[in-house]
Amino acid sequence: MDLETYKKSWGNQQVENTSIDIYKMSRSKSSSIVKWIFIIGVLELIFWTSLNFMVPQKYLEFYKDFKVMELIKASTYVHYVVIIVFLVLFYKNYNSISITDNTRRLMNRILSVRKTVKYYVYYNLGGIVLSNAILIFILLGQPKDLIKAMNADGLNMEANEIITIFVVTSVLMVLVMLTIIWLFYRFTYGRLLKKLNKNYKELDNLENLN
Amino acid sequence: MQKDLESKFLQDFEQNQNIVHKICRIYTTNQDAHNDLFQEVVIQLWKNYSKFRGDSKFSTWMYRVALNTAISLYRKSTRTITTQDIDDFSYKIQSIQYDDTEELQLKALYNAIRQLNDIDKALIFLYLEDKPYKEISETLGITEVNARVKMNRAKDKLKNILNP
Repeated sequence: MDLETYKKSWGNQQVENTSIDIYKMSRSKSSSIVKWIFIIGVLELIFWTSLNFMVPQKYLEFYKDFKVMELIKASTYVHYVVIIVFLVLFYKNYNSISITDNTRRLMNRILSVRKTVKYYVYYNLGGIVLSNAILIFILLGQPKDLIKAMNADGLNMEANEIITIFVVTSVLMVLVMLTIIWLFYRFTYGRLLKKLNKNYKELDNLENLN
Repeated sequence: MQKDLESKFLQDFEQNQNIVHKICRIYTTNQDAHNDLFQEVVIQLWKNYSKFRGDSKFSTWMYRVALNTAISLYRKSTRTITTQDIDDFSYKIQSIQYDDTEELQLKALYNAIRQLNDIDKALIFLYLEDKPYKEISETLGITEVNARVKMNRAKDKLKNILNP
C-alpha cells in the first residue's frame, strides 16, 4: 500500500481534546533532562570547588620549608579566576538553552552545558596531576629538607623510599578519583544523555558529509 | 495581565492540542508515558508562551516546542500524574468517518512509526502533517537538501515495516 493512502487516513484521524488546567499545569514541575543536567552540573561545580577549600592548613605547612609557598599562593589565585570563568561559561551556556530553537541547535546547547562541566572536572584533575608533579620535582631537588619534613618522627628512611611513597600515594589518589568520576558519569550523564547523544548523531550524520 | 495571557494560551492551545496528542502517541508506548510527555510539553509551551511573538503561526511554534520536548528534553519518568487527570484517550484511535479500514490503517501506521528512531519519527510526522520541506528543515535545523535525503530514507524504512 502506498504511503499516500496512509497519509489520507492520518488526516482523517480524530483526536479527542482534553480540557487542561493551565494554572495547575504551569505550576507542575518539569522533569526535563535540562533541569537534571543543571542540577548535577551545579553539584559537580560545588564539589570540585569545595575540594580546594578542604585541603587542611597542616598539609600546606608541610611545604613551608621548601620555598614553594609563593607558588602555591599564585596558583591558588589563578585557580580562583579559572573557577569564575567556568561558572560564567556554565551559566551562559545554560541560559542560552531555548526550547524554541531548532532541534539541532537545542541539542547542541544542552550538550555544551554538559561539556563545560566536563572540562571543569578535567581541569581539576589535570591540576591535581600537574601540581603533584611539580611538587615532586621541587621536593626531589631538596632531599635533605624532604627527609626532615617527612620523617619528623625520626624513622630510619631513605629519601628514595620517601619519594616512592609520595609518588605512589599521588598516583593512587588520582586513580581512585578517576574511577569515582567514571562511575558517577556512567550512572548520571550516561543515562541522562544516551538518548540525546544518539539523536544528535542521527541528525548530524548527514550534515557532516556536506 | 497574567489572566489574559492564560486565557489566550488556553484558546490557542485548545485549537491545536491534537498536534501534541499525535506527537505523544508516536513517541510513547503506554498511557502513563503519554500523559507524562503531554504534561511536559504543556509545561514547556506555557513557560515559553510569553516569548511567542506571533511572527509565525502558533501551530508552527507548537510543532517545534512539542517535537523538541519529545526528542531532546523528555526522559522516561516514573513520576505519577497528580496534577491532572487526563482522559484515557490515547489508544482510542479513531477515524472521523468511523471507517474500519481507516482505523486499522491508522493503528498499523502508529505501530510502524513507533519502530523508527526519534529523528525519523519527527520527519515522518511532519510529512504526514503535510509540512513543506522548508518548514521541516527549519524545525529540525538541517538543510533542505538533507531534510529531503533523510525523509526518503525514513519513508523507505516505514514502507518496509508496513509492507514487509
